[in-house]
Amino acid sequence: MTITTRREAIALISGALVSASLGGPAFAQGAAKKGGTLRISAPANPSSLDPATGGAGSDHAFLFTMYDTLVEWEFETLKPRPGLAESWKFTDPTTLVLNIRAGVTFHDGTPLDAKAVKFNLDRNKSDPKSNIKADLLSVASVEVSGPLQVTLKLNTPDTALPGILSDRAGMMVSPTALKAADGGVVTRKPVGAGAYSFVSWADGEKIVVKRNEKYWKPNRPYPDGIEFSIIPELTTGARSVTAGQNDLIYQLPPRQKAIIERASSVKVVHGPTLYVFQIFLNWAKPPFDNVKVRQALNFAIDRESFVKAALAGLAEPAYMNLPKSHWAYDAEVAKLYPYDPAKARKLLAEAGFKEGTQIEIGGYSDQDSVQREEILIEQFRKAGMNVRFVNAPIAEASAAFFGPEKKGSGLLAAWTGRPDPSLTYSLMFTKDAYYNGGRAPVPPELEAAIRESRASEDIDIRRKAFATVQRLVMENAFVVPLAFQFELVAMNKKVQGYKPNLLGKPKYDDVWLES
Amino acid sequence: MARRSPVKVIGSRLLQALPVILLATFMVFALLKLVPGDIAVTLAGDNATDTRIAEIRSIYGLDRPFLVQYGAWLGKVAQGDLSQSLLTGENVATSIGRAFPNTLLIVVIAMVLALVTGIPMGVIAAVKPNGWVDKLVSLIASVGVAIPGFWLAMILVAEFSLKLNWLPATGAKSFSASPIEAIRYALLPGIAIAAYGMAEVARQLRGALLEVLSSQYVRTLHAKGLSMSRILWQHGLKNVSVNLLTIISLLVNRMLAATVVIEAVFAIPGLGSLIVRGAIQRDFPIVQGVVFTVVVVVIAVNLITDLLCAAIDPRIEQ
Repeated sequence: MTITTRREAIALISGALVSASLGGPAFAQGAAKKGGTLRISAPANPSSLDPATGGAGSDHAFLFTMYDTLVEWEFETLKPRPGLAESWKFTDPTTLVLNIRAGVTFHDGTPLDAKAVKFNLDRNKSDPKSNIKADLLSVASVEVSGPLQVTLKLNTPDTALPGILSDRAGMMVSPTALKAADGGVVTRKPVGAGAYSFVSWADGEKIVVKRNEKYWKPNRPYPDGIEFSIIPELTTGARSVTAGQNDLIYQLPPRQKAIIERASSVKVVHGPTLYVFQIFLNWAKPPFDNVKVRQALNFAIDRESFVKAALAGLAEPAYMNLPKSHWAYDAEVAKLYPYDPAKARKLLAEAGFKEGTQIEIGGYSDQDSVQREEILIEQFRKAGMNVRFVNAPIAEASAAFFGPEKKGSGLLAAWTGRPDPSLTYSLMFTKDAYYNGGRAPVPPELEAAIRESRASEDIDIRRKAFATVQRLVMENAFVVPLAFQFELVAMNKKVQGYKPNLLGKPKYDDVWLES
Repeated sequence: MARRSPVKVIGSRLLQALPVILLATFMVFALLKLVPGDIAVTLAGDNATDTRIAEIRSIYGLDRPFLVQYGAWLGKVAQGDLSQSLLTGENVATSIGRAFPNTLLIVVIAMVLALVTGIPMGVIAAVKPNGWVDKLVSLIASVGVAIPGFWLAMILVAEFSLKLNWLPATGAKSFSASPIEAIRYALLPGIAIAAYGMAEVARQLRGALLEVLSSQYVRTLHAKGLSMSRILWQHGLKNVSVNLLTIISLLVNRMLAATVVIEAVFAIPGLGSLIVRGAIQRDFPIVQGVVFTVVVVVIAVNLITDLLCAAIDPRIEQ
C-alpha cells in the first residue's frame, strides 16, 4: 500500500499504535500454526445466513467467515483492497470493470468466475427477496466481459461501489446452491467461497463452521473450525470466556473491561470503530425544525466528559460521522462544535426557545443506554435545556421514530457505519431516506455534495467531497454525534493474531490458537 | 353420586382445555400486534427504505388484517404445523423440540431438589412447632422465598464455576446424548430455581401437617397408643399428600416461568430464551409456538394432578 498524504500516514501510524498498545497481534509470540477450534461467544442469532436476505448488522460476524467479498478493506482505515476481485478499474465514470481472481471455487466446487459474479450481482440488484437492492441502485447492468471479468454499467457515476462490494452486496454465494435452494434463498444452507464452510446452525444456540481446505488465501485459515455459541446476555458471555468455555467474545460494553481484566486467563483488545452513538433529529417538527436549536444541542455536549463517564474512556469523541483514523476524516469540521454551554444558551435565545421548555427524545431501555441518558440530561440542563428521554426496547423505539408514527423529536441511538462513507450520508441525510426520521428536505447543495462524493475515484478528490458533505451536515446540525465506541474483544490468552477493525464487525483472518 | 369413568373425565377436561388454548394464544397474538415495533423493519435490514418495508409486509403477509393473520396461524396449528420463524426460517416445532428438553431438565432437577430438601424440612418443623428447629426452618424458608433467583444464580456461578471450577458457568448439553454431562450443566440453574421451591414446599407442608396433627382423629390415634413416628408417616403424610400434589403442580408452573430469567443468566437455549428472542424481534410465530407449548404443558400438569388427587382421596369430586 502506498501512503499518499500526510494525514493518511498519521492515520496509519495511530492505527499501528493502537495495536501496539494492545500488546496485539503483530507482536504475538511464536509462529502461527494450524489446528484447534475457535469457540466464540456471539451476542445475537443471525437474521439469515444469506447475505442478500439478512437484515442485522450483527450478521456480518458470521457471514464474513463463510463468504468472501469481491472487495476487502484495510483493517485500520477501511480503504478498499482486492478480495475476490484481484483488481478493478473505472474505465470511465459510469463503467466499472472487475477482474476476478483465477482458480477460486465455492465450497460446493462451483467455480467462482465471471458468470457466478454476474449471477450474484443480478440477484442482489433485482431479486424481490433481496434486501440490498438499494445498495446497487446505481448499477444499470452487469455484463460478462471475459471468463474472469465483469463490467458494471452504471446509470450514474458511483465510486462508492468498491466499498459497497466489500459488504453484503459483494458476498458471493454459490449459484448452484442458490438455484437448488427452496425459494432461491440460502438462509439456512449457506454456500460461499470464504475461509470456512457451513456445518450447522441451531437457532439461538450454535453455529458451526469448518475450515475450507481449498481456500484461496495461502495457509489460511489456521483453526480447524469455529463454533459460535449465541449468548445474548453479554455478562453471561463474558463469564463463559473467563470460565474457559469459550475463547473469545466481541462487542463487549466498555463497563465490562475492568471486570474481565480481573481474570488472569483473559486478555482484552480494543480499537476504534465507525460505530457512533448519536442523537438522530427530526428536523421536520419543532423544536428541531430550527437550525439554531439543533446547533445548541451540539454546543451543549461535553463530549470528552461523556466518553469518560458513559463509556469508561473507551471511545473517541465524535464531531461528525467519521472517526479520526478514517481516510475521509476532516479535522476542520471537527472544530465546529467545541463544548460551549454559553453559546448554546445564546443560540436558544436567538431561536426564541423558552428556557426550561421540555424536549422529548426517544431512547432505549437497557442499562447502558439509560446511563448515557443520565449524563446527557445533566449536560443539556447546564445549557438551559430540559430534555426528557422516553425509553422503549430497540425495535419499538426505532420503529416509532423512523416509521410512520414520527414519535419524539429525536432518538438517542447509534449508527453502525458503512464501508463507504457515502452510504452513511445518503442513508441519513437525503430527503426520503429511512433514517431521516422526518423525511424532511435537506439543502440541495448537500444532496449535490453527496452525489459528488461518488463521482470521482481519486481518493483525494473524494476526501474533499466528503469534507463538504460533513461540513454541510454539521453546519445544519442534522445530527448530534456523541462518541465512536471502541470495539472491545476479550479472549483467552491462547488466541493469537486477532486484529480489531474500523468497521467494528469482527473478522478472524489471521487468528490462530496456541496449543 | 356415581363416579364417572376416568376416560370420560379426561375427555371432558381436554374439551375444556381448547378454549383456554384459543384464548391464551389469541391474547398473546393481540399483545404482540399491539405493542409498537415491527418485524418488517428488522426484515428490511440495515439499509431499509419505506418502499422496501412495505414490500416486505406484503411478501410476508404482514399487511393482512389482524384476524386473518391469527386465523392463518391457527389453521396451520390445527394441521399440526407451528409454522416457521419469520426471521430465520427455522421450523418453530424444530426450535421448540430442541429447546424444551433443556428447560424440562432444569425444572425436573429443581423439583427433585425442592422436594428432597423441602419435605424433610416441613416435617421436622411441624413435629415440634415453635421449637428452635421450626424457627430455623421458617428462617430458611423466608430467605428462600425472598432471594431473587437470578441473584442466587450469579452467586452460584461466581463460587462454583469461576472460583472452584466444579460446574460449567454457561450453556446446556443434550440429555439424550450424554445424561451425566447434561445434568452437570443443568445443576446450577436447577439449584437457583429450587431455592424458592424448597421454601414453598417446606412452608406449605408444615402448615398442612400442623392442621392434620391437631385434628381429632390424630388425638384418637395417640389415645390408641400409636407411636409418633407411625402417626406422622402413615397417617399424617398420607393426609397431606393431596396438598403436596397441589403444591407440586403450582410449582411446575412457577418454575417454568422462572426459567425465562435463569436461562438468560446461564445462556441456556431453552424455551425461556426462545420466547424472549421471539418477543424482542417481534417474531410472532416463535412466541405463539412457545405460548402454545407452555399452555399445553400447564393444562396437562393440572389434569394429571387432579386425576392423582382424586385417586388418592376419593372424597374429591371429579
